[in-house]
Amino acid sequence: MEIKELLKNLTEATGIGNIREATEKASGYLSKFCEVSYTDNLGVIAKIDGARDYTMLIEAHIDQVGFIVTNIDDEGFLTVALCGGIDLRALPSRQVDIHGKKKIRGVFCSTPPHLSENDVVYDKIDNLKIDSLLGEKAKELITIGDYVTFAAGFNELAGDLVCSRSLDDRAGVAAVIELASRFKDKKPPVNLVFCLSDMEELALRGAKTSAFKISPDEAIAIDVSFSDGPDINPLDCGKIGKGAMIGVSPVLDSDMSKKLLMLADKFSISCQTEVMGSSTGTDADVISVTKSGVKTGLVSIPLRNMHSECEIISIPDVLSVCDLLERYIEAVNDND
Amino acid sequence: MIELIKKLTALDGTSGDEGDIRNYIISEISQFCRYKVDSLGNIIAEKKGKKEPSKKIMLDAHMDEVGLIITSITDDGFLRFKTLGGINTSALMFKRVKIGGKIPGAISGKPIHLCSGDEDKKLPKTDTLYIDIGASSKKEAEKLVSVGDRAVFTSDFTECGNKIISKALDDRIGCAILIKLIKEYDEFDFTAVFSVQEEIGLRGAKVATYSVNPDAAVIIEGTTAADIADVAEEKRVCFLGKGPAVSFMDRSTVYDREYYLAAINSGISVQPKRAVAGGNNSGAVHLTRAGVRTIAISVPCRYIHSSSSAADTWDIMSAFDLCKFMINYIAND
Repeated sequence: MEIKELLKNLTEATGIGNIREATEKASGYLSKFCEVSYTDNLGVIAKIDGARDYTMLIEAHIDQVGFIVTNIDDEGFLTVALCGGIDLRALPSRQVDIHGKKKIRGVFCSTPPHLSENDVVYDKIDNLKIDSLLGEKAKELITIGDYVTFAAGFNELAGDLVCSRSLDDRAGVAAVIELASRFKDKKPPVNLVFCLSDMEELALRGAKTSAFKISPDEAIAIDVSFSDGPDINPLDCGKIGKGAMIGVSPVLDSDMSKKLLMLADKFSISCQTEVMGSSTGTDADVISVTKSGVKTGLVSIPLRNMHSECEIISIPDVLSVCDLLERYIEAVNDND
Repeated sequence: MIELIKKLTALDGTSGDEGDIRNYIISEISQFCRYKVDSLGNIIAEKKGKKEPSKKIMLDAHMDEVGLIITSITDDGFLRFKTLGGINTSALMFKRVKIGGKIPGAISGKPIHLCSGDEDKKLPKTDTLYIDIGASSKKEAEKLVSVGDRAVFTSDFTECGNKIISKALDDRIGCAILIKLIKEYDEFDFTAVFSVQEEIGLRGAKVATYSVNPDAAVIIEGTTAADIADVAEEKRVCFLGKGPAVSFMDRSTVYDREYYLAAINSGISVQPKRAVAGGNNSGAVHLTRAGVRTIAISVPCRYIHSSSSAADTWDIMSAFDLCKFMINYIAND
């Protein structure tokens, strides 16, 4: 499958709160390769039966960052709260989709040139209003509690990089779908359960309940992590195009991290190590403490401009995650 | 008219690089008037009407839009840039752009998760931002872009009810009005100038006005509408949906009082621009040679100089009507 096309389709669909276009699109792809067994408000679960009664969970989150409407004034300006950590400084003049009774294009108000922009302190989202351009009619079409997302498209950049909104974590979702496709015609050694969980950006809620329902024997989360740039300390980030970032952290199973690194080396899959001092800030944190505990690994795709409408990833990095996890699944019995 | 604005905003033309806009405008007007292109790239078009006016009348709209110019390429293949025209730093951060008319890129910076202290509460300096085009080295980047290339915002033209959202409404709206005047207005002769380099210091209009040597001028512009949330009534300047704004004074010009009052009393829905702020080609035009009596007719635009300026289609049609009224008024004066 063409990963670029898959990512374009997945990022063009919206996934936040009750807006479940992305979930539907992704389950459509998954259902070609496996049985989509369960869909609820917090995620999608699909499985491929394996040779042995042992369940391996492969997880990515389907939701994206955005906003939720908290007030609508008489002139059609909306006050919103954040769903996820978003850079407030980059919001003025940004176009958004307001998911009201219909999809409405809005613009974040920007400070007009005759009022000094330098006076603005970007500490509260309450100070940044969204212009619905509907005036007093806004209240007919928009309701408090409606969701708002960035309105930005998909671009192919040079060097197999792509730029879009929501690559966090549709890149991971694309990897899950690609991985599922690779086991369509070969029986995996263990049961594979693919889960696309909701509400990761809201304190990892979806993975918590999905992991409970699945109750896996082991799990690997696929997420994105910080990548390089001119003003970014190279020690704080991975490097785009250099392959899967294999997570090493006290909350992750160290044998799994070692095995992932060993397999990358053995099969010449490009990878890099991402060491985290404590928790990972990903669904791996909650999956690992589900029920009586699940040994969990984390593999991340390097991403630039996180939580902006200009997230950037490398297609070969997504493929290296798939290559690595395919090898991992095939070798999953080797330790036993 | 709106279709014309859509076509004009889809084209890219930063200051000094207005060729695509110029070619398109010429294709629209060439059957309806005589025109020439001067040495800076201004289009100067002579439209014949049924009658000769008592004064030589010039109408101006500028072709250029705000944008970026690539100043250097880092060893890692990132592009550094300067702005052409005034653009807020917040309008640049994490924004999609198109370089040299074809190469997509993203204005990039440090994600807030990696900011320390209150670094994420203040705007960074524009010169710390950079464009990522996906190149992994200077050599790879140089295959796609060159220093001196221009970049513009990537933005879809969106129509919602009677509002439009687009880049470059300042001043493609003016260009569209002027094209429509050339096509449809035929009472009196007038000279239409589609000028270059407004955003970097009113340079095109200065020389064009010298060549045309008019008695009176009408400048068609887009202006800041600050009728938005959290801006006090007296600082709102002008309002969407209340007709074109007419200025008595701004930072570049003290406007002709008689023309200003004529516009206000025209019977067309018009609003005074309630601030001595901003400026436009009038600044250069009204001081040309021994002076030119000048009026500016401005279409209110929210979020001007960004990827998402917004205007009201009814204001645009009223501005078109007011232009016709002012030509007649000046011609009969």
